[in-house]
Amino acid sequence: MDIDKENVVQAVVIMDTFNGHFSPICDNKPMGLLPVAGVPLINYILESLSNGGVGEVILFCCKYGQKIKDYIRKCIEDKAVWSVSMDVQVMMSDTCQTMGDVMREIDAAGLIRGNFILAGVNSVTNINFASLLEQHKQTCKKDKGAAMTLVYKKLAWEHPLISADKPIFLAADANTNKVLMHQKYKQKSTEKTISLPLEIVLNHSEVKLHHNLADASIALCSPSVPPLFSDNFDFQTRDDFIHGILINEEILASSLYYTLLKGHQYAATVTNWKTYQTVCRDVLHNWTYPITFEAGTFNQNNYITMCNHIFRAKSSTLSRSCSLEEDVLIGANTQINDNTIISKSMIGKNCVIGNNVTIKGSHIMNNVVIKDNCTVVHSFIDDNCVIEEKCIIENGTMIASNVVVEAGSHLKGNILESTEVEREKTLMKSTSESTEWENESSGSGGDDFIGFEKSWSDSQSCYSSDGSDESSLPDSPVPEDTNIFLQEVIDSLARGYEEKLKNDYLILEINSSRYAYNIQLHEVNFFVVRALLSIPVLAENKNVVNTMKDILKYFRPVLANYIKTKSSIMDCLRAVEDSCIKCEWLDGKAGQILHLLYEADVVDEDSLLEWHQDLQENESPIANQPSLVKFFDWLEEASEESDESD
Amino acid sequence: MSLTEGPVKELDDKFVDLIGKFVSDIKTGKLKGSNNVALAMVTLLETIISDSQNATAYELCGAVRAAGRRVISALPHELVAANVARRMLRAIRDENRAHANQSVEASGESLQRLVLAAGARRATLGSAQQDLREPLRDQIAELRGELESSISSICGQAKEHVNGDELILTYGASAIAERFLRAAAHRKYKLILAEGAEQSESHAMANRLSAAGVSVTVISSASIYAVMSRVNKVVISVKAAMGGGAVLAEAGLHAVTQAARHYCVPVLALAPLYKLSPVHDVSHFNAYAAPHTALPYERHELATDNMHVYAPMYDFAPPDHITLFITNLGGSSPSYMYRMLSELYDLNDYVF
Repeated sequence: MDIDKENVVQAVVIMDTFNGHFSPICDNKPMGLLPVAGVPLINYILESLSNGGVGEVILFCCKYGQKIKDYIRKCIEDKAVWSVSMDVQVMMSDTCQTMGDVMREIDAAGLIRGNFILAGVNSVTNINFASLLEQHKQTCKKDKGAAMTLVYKKLAWEHPLISADKPIFLAADANTNKVLMHQKYKQKSTEKTISLPLEIVLNHSEVKLHHNLADASIALCSPSVPPLFSDNFDFQTRDDFIHGILINEEILASSLYYTLLKGHQYAATVTNWKTYQTVCRDVLHNWTYPITFEAGTFNQNNYITMCNHIFRAKSSTLSRSCSLEEDVLIGANTQINDNTIISKSMIGKNCVIGNNVTIKGSHIMNNVVIKDNCTVVHSFIDDNCVIEEKCIIENGTMIASNVVVEAGSHLKGNILESTEVEREKTLMKSTSESTEWENESSGSGGDDFIGFEKSWSDSQSCYSSDGSDESSLPDSPVPEDTNIFLQEVIDSLARGYEEKLKNDYLILEINSSRYAYNIQLHEVNFFVVRALLSIPVLAENKNVVNTMKDILKYFRPVLANYIKTKSSIMDCLRAVEDSCIKCEWLDGKAGQILHLLYEADVVDEDSLLEWHQDLQENESPIANQPSLVKFFDWLEEASEESDESD
Repeated sequence: MSLTEGPVKELDDKFVDLIGKFVSDIKTGKLKGSNNVALAMVTLLETIISDSQNATAYELCGAVRAAGRRVISALPHELVAANVARRMLRAIRDENRAHANQSVEASGESLQRLVLAAGARRATLGSAQQDLREPLRDQIAELRGELESSISSICGQAKEHVNGDELILTYGASAIAERFLRAAAHRKYKLILAEGAEQSESHAMANRLSAAGVSVTVISSASIYAVMSRVNKVVISVKAAMGGGAVLAEAGLHAVTQAARHYCVPVLALAPLYKLSPVHDVSHFNAYAAPHTALPYERHELATDNMHVYAPMYDFAPPDHITLFITNLGGSSPSYMYRMLSELYDLNDYVF
């Protein structure tokens, strides 16, 4: 087959979400194979890409690449519709930890020929990619620096896709759709205000503000995007990229655009269990038409449509006395017995549901056996589980694959894993509305669920370093990454001092660790000084001040590199304060250290005085140290003298 | 050996790929419009027939049937593709029969011969072993010619049905209704266009017709009943014409034909013959589209979570709502449609 390679639309699908939102269900299987409304997630994106006119797809797997590869091969053998029109490549790399790594890898491999589509495996959409890409190309013609067009879907503010995810605030130029500001809030953020820089309003004739957008995690990218990721090591996620571009728009010579989807186009991302349920429901309610819960299969119409959005596979068996209420999907060869009531649930293939079972708001995967008189409410049961008689499973219970639940168990918001229930984590506070379809009492729902709880703390740690989080450094307990960074800097400096390495190399070393741990510049200043004062030589040596003098003399170029501006001097002084409090070998020697720094011209007088004032205001423990008081007395005298001599 | 008894034939891989291409073309929207789909299906079947290794009637029937079945299973709503496959099967059978009759030395028609020939008509395909590709080529060309000309021959009848100063009502946007109405533009009739589910398409069609010199009034589908008393004729296009004389058409059509029936307004259904489908059970045919036309997704709030929104794609209008079908062979009444069906397709091919 001879395809004109130049005109083939390319898409990159990132097959991992790099978070544990779907733990433990996705602990041992790839995200792409998590069934949404009975179909593995990957089918939705592949089918929509194929329907959207994409010719070549690169699936980038960081984990379980082989499983994805096998699945894709099987699909191609089964003649899935997308396999005809699209060339699907699976790329694997175990070393990638973030989306940024993936993009750098793609850049290194040189796979991208032109504008391309970047999507996550968790996107469910029915948009026409080719026309959107065309739109992006038009934007590129007008603005050479256009790097990315972000795709958003406008929703009602109360919609679960927004309330269960991080809300976005977006400010954009109304005429060109250029993104001027992009801010992601935490889930259920209580912030009442939005601060909009004045120049945004002053520099543009018309500015659009959006607060009710759902991120489809789909972007149309220019060929410049992968190199941008390569040039900026601190771009870890797409949000980092967006922030980086917006902050350094001039330096990187790139800009971002956005587009809103029209009425019939649907796009959503499965980011956590709540959005999972919302997306399942939307698929069942045909919002994703023409992509249905039969996505990816060649043969359509295997389901019988009943009223109230109830669909059952033709090969499923229903008892006459069972009742299906609404929003039910029943997979192939599933058997449902007498007097069973099912509503708002998805039931997979080859399941056997016994008599008098009640299933509400739950997701049951394939090959599950639920015996008589059980109740399953708002829960998730993975493949091959057996639920014995008279169990009650409710409140967002997650049961991973191959679990046997004993007869008469009562599970409330528990998470069960592996065959013999090795680990059973019970929720500290198990509330009811955690994995519900709809939470009427929205106040108590949501983030109490362990799936969320855990994942949120995770994602916060990766957010803690992006400027928006202004928790000032000395007060807050130092986060994990920064601690490691500090240790690395100390090690580098100590080694440098012992082996008398060149200062230039040390700077390089510090910078590279900075990128590795995603440390902000002002934090680097802080930590370098902090590390200088914590070099083990100091602690071992009796005469601290003399050693300190040597060290400062030796590391003068390093300090000069970092401590240049006023704010960096303040960082430096704060570091001195911090060190003097924390390191016992510096106890009572704050004054001497400051003197040394002052003599070495690292800090200037004005900053010192300002800092001194701060210390007194904040009642820092070192403010009244005799050596410090002595130093500032001396400083004032010296300044008066110099004034007089002038 | 009758065909329906034979085992399902496995298609060659290259044919499966061709069908996959066809299906994906339709799904990606490269192939639009029932006429284009029908023509592409003819091309597809022609390739399959001419590339088959064994071109006996039995083999060909099996291949075409398997291809048709595969297309239907992937595209259950493309009835036209299935109809074309049925037409092709009929062509193969006819050709086979003609060859069988040739071998029995033909010497003029007689009543006795017709009775004897009935046996051959009962479709035993196994007897003849000759290569049917050559004679089928003419049949395929004929079929293609019919498909290509069907719309223009329907539009050629426009003058007979649309008269000056009449008030015509049509519902929704459709290519064939647009051409039909345009063909009668010089009659100086007035048109009321009731907008269908896709309003923008209806508006675009109204614009084009207006540019062609037709006086067009666009009304919302809610006011169809109100204007129906003044309307002289209703012209609609259909998705499928069924054997019983009923039609499957764009959602909302039933309201139009019901109103027309109430006021005894004649309803003309424009149905090219390739839309004539031997299906009777339509219950599973209705598919649901994205319900954004009923309720935009932006309005979908937490409070409305328990709500079910439907947007069915098709509507079923019973035979007594249709006055006349206009096919490419001329007008025919709904009660005659079953006859057309048996002329076009072989009884064995109604169900694949």
